[in-house]
Amino acid sequence: MSKEIKISAQGVDVFYGDTHAIKNVDLEIENKAVTAFIGPSGCGKSTFLRCINRMNDTIDICRVTGDILLEGQDIYAKSVDPVQLRARVGMVFQKPNPFPKSIYDNVAYGPTIHGLAKNKAELDEIVEQSLRRAAIWDEVKDRLHQPGTGLSGGQQQRLCIGRAIATAPEVLLMDEPCSALDPIATAQVEELIDDLRQNYTVVIVTHSMQQAARVSQKTAFFHLGNVVEYGDTNKIFTNPEDSRTESYITGRIG
Amino acid sequence: MMDQEHIASAFDRDLEGVLALIMQMGGLVETAISDAARALEMRDTELADQVRRNDKLIDALEEQVASEVARVIAVRAPTAGDLRTVLSVLKISGNLERMGDYAKNLGKRTSVLSEMPAITGTGGALRRMTQLVNVMLKDALDAYIQRDVDLAEDVRQRDSEVDQMYNALFREFLTHMMEDPRNITACMHLHFIAKNVERMGDHVTSICEQVVYLVTGDMPDEDREKQDRTSTDSALGKV
Ligand SMILES: Nc1ncnc2c1ncn2[C@@H]1O[C@H](COP(=O)(O)OP(=O)(O)OP(=O)(O)O)[C@@H](O)[C@H]1O
Ligand SMILES: [Mg+2]
Repeated sequence: MSKEIKISAQGVDVFYGDTHAIKNVDLEIENKAVTAFIGPSGCGKSTFLRCINRMNDTIDICRVTGDILLEGQDIYAKSVDPVQLRARVGMVFQKPNPFPKSIYDNVAYGPTIHGLAKNKAELDEIVEQSLRRAAIWDEVKDRLHQPGTGLSGGQQQRLCIGRAIATAPEVLLMDEPCSALDPIATAQVEELIDDLRQNYTVVIVTHSMQQAARVSQKTAFFHLGNVVEYGDTNKIFTNPEDSRTESYITGRIG
Repeated sequence: MMDQEHIASAFDRDLEGVLALIMQMGGLVETAISDAARALEMRDTELADQVRRNDKLIDALEEQVASEVARVIAVRAPTAGDLRTVLSVLKISGNLERMGDYAKNLGKRTSVLSEMPAITGTGGALRRMTQLVNVMLKDALDAYIQRDVDLAEDVRQRDSEVDQMYNALFREFLTHMMEDPRNITACMHLHFIAKNVERMGDHVTSICEQVVYLVTGDMPDEDREKQDRTSTDSALGKV
């Protein structure tokens, strides 16, 4: 079991104008493991996730303080290019957001700009493999050149997962990736996540306690902008330390 | 925290329902034990038969608990304290079912023993031992419902008294058998009865462990020393 730390957050605060969304959070995310963020709506899970690849930079009123280190390097340092960072730290969003382009181009875009394919055949291979792993290949293989926006919500989400893994990021951030998926696609995505952790670090936000318990090794429980409890998933779901965690995961009024 | 209600109130009703089944089982087992002990002492074969028949009710309740628990797991996917409640219910219903079987076995042996001359002097000790176990069972179930770890620990400690009583009876039966070989059949039956009551105590201890597990999430430390030494007792070797 590797206990190597991939991402280390130290004293992180996030503000949206006057809203204090994340309050002095310290969190160490293990390398090559799946970490789940759980907690009630509005507790700051997405906000914290977006700090890890500087997605919050794109929100004007958002201010992030504290340190986030990726393999010991401060990702908010002046020298860090957010675009390069996001190639290393990929993201799948809460709402599917395919580019207004063909299914093929959605996936091929990243590998192309990062020069991951030497020729068309290699690019085709990357696109097919990515879509297969995202459990959508069979549904789109005959319509690769139709627009990605023409897919159903669940299909769009799997396309976005395919797009995110096409660049082989070291870290994959997933914000409720299965909220629009049927049980079969959900199982396929969970299988993919389990597969990804051989090589990647995955952080997933989910509202499904069972999903968190199934896919993750570590779980962080967020509550009102704080990380109330963080530890082994097995422990959190069988015997949590904090009564707020217990109330939340057992479906009680907290 | 467990006093808090679930947002899904049907979940609370499910858990209460399954706990009510456990309590019902516990009540039947307590009755079975005291009736079996009384039947033995009074040589009341009618009552002994009743204990044997009633064991079916306990078995049926155990099955009902198992199917309820399966349904709750499938529908609610319980976690944390809820998960431990459901697991402990399953375990305890198993303990109670075994205790019921021992009571039934006591009833069977009573029927056989009532055909034989009585063995003097051991009836009182057997009755006290059985009563002790029955009070322990009642307290263990109270501890379970009230989530009272201290009471559970206290009951766990009391099991060594049961073990000691068994040891004493074991020697006594041995003496009777050595005195007069015609006592052997009856003493063998009585010995099995004593051994089964001692095992009932072990099941009560196991219920107490479930109380500790339910409340703390951990099994208790194995600090309780086993007082039944008959398996290594040299008294047998000296015969
Ligand atoms: N772009 C934004 N502008 C202003 N406030 C925001 C913005 N995004 C989030 N917030 C606020 O920050 C807090 C945390 O929101 P966040 O989206 O991180 O919650 P969440 O835990 O992901 O919730 P959910 O489970 O509903 O997705 C909330 O109070 C929210 O209103
Ligand atoms: Mg969110």
